[in-house]
Amino acid sequence: MLMMARREGETILIGDDIEVVIAHIGRSRVKVGIRAPRELAVMAREVKLVRDENLAASTRSDKAFSRLLRHLRPTISSPRG
Amino acid sequence: MPCLNTNYFGSISFDPQAVIEFPRGLPGFDDRRRFVAVQFEDSRPLVFLQSIEDPGLCFITLPVLAIDARYRLGMSSEDKELVGLPVSRKIQIGADVMCLAVLSIRETGPTANLMAPVVINLHNYKAVQAVDTESRYSHQHVLVPEKAALCS
Repeated sequence: MLMMARREGETILIGDDIEVVIAHIGRSRVKVGIRAPRELAVMAREVKLVRDENLAASTRSDKAFSRLLRHLRPTISSPRG
Repeated sequence: MPCLNTNYFGSISFDPQAVIEFPRGLPGFDDRRRFVAVQFEDSRPLVFLQSIEDPGLCFITLPVLAIDARYRLGMSSEDKELVGLPVSRKIQIGADVMCLAVLSIRETGPTANLMAPVVINLHNYKAVQAVDTESRYSHQHVLVPEKAALCS
């Protein structure tokens, strides 16, 4: 992985079309500005994980649905909460 | 009461007052904004999040507290504002919001997304899938039978 040290307000270029600006450096977080072509999806890695998980979780076939129910029944023994 | 056609439950009637609105949709389903929460007597505490706009879209969920009784909800100020929750106060599951983990089926068994629970404001039924970037919880939390059941 390429590592670069940058100060607040400085910019990194990726190819000709993508600009990454270090907008603000806080104590434990940095604010990053990204300028990229509209067709490029830019998102936090966690959001991508959640998106992939949602796509896998959305029940698109009856088979998966009944399989999940069958798997779940024995794991749930307490209806509390 | 209006009726809704679904792929999995057939035709179900629902209370228009109980429609859950996701102003931003869910990651991967940005244009799916309106859902109903469906429960059945014999599958409690499972909650099925059925899309009103797409009869084939249904998420199987569990209340996070049914998975982990000590679950701690983390939400960004942005997400709180989106669903009309107070930004400065701690959000109480049960009193302020319903908090559901989306389940996935895998070869090894079901997992629950505890990293990004669906949070429904109980006062206005606005909802968001709250992606907690500082979460200590997994997006693929393995559901295991309760210890008591294993010992007996």
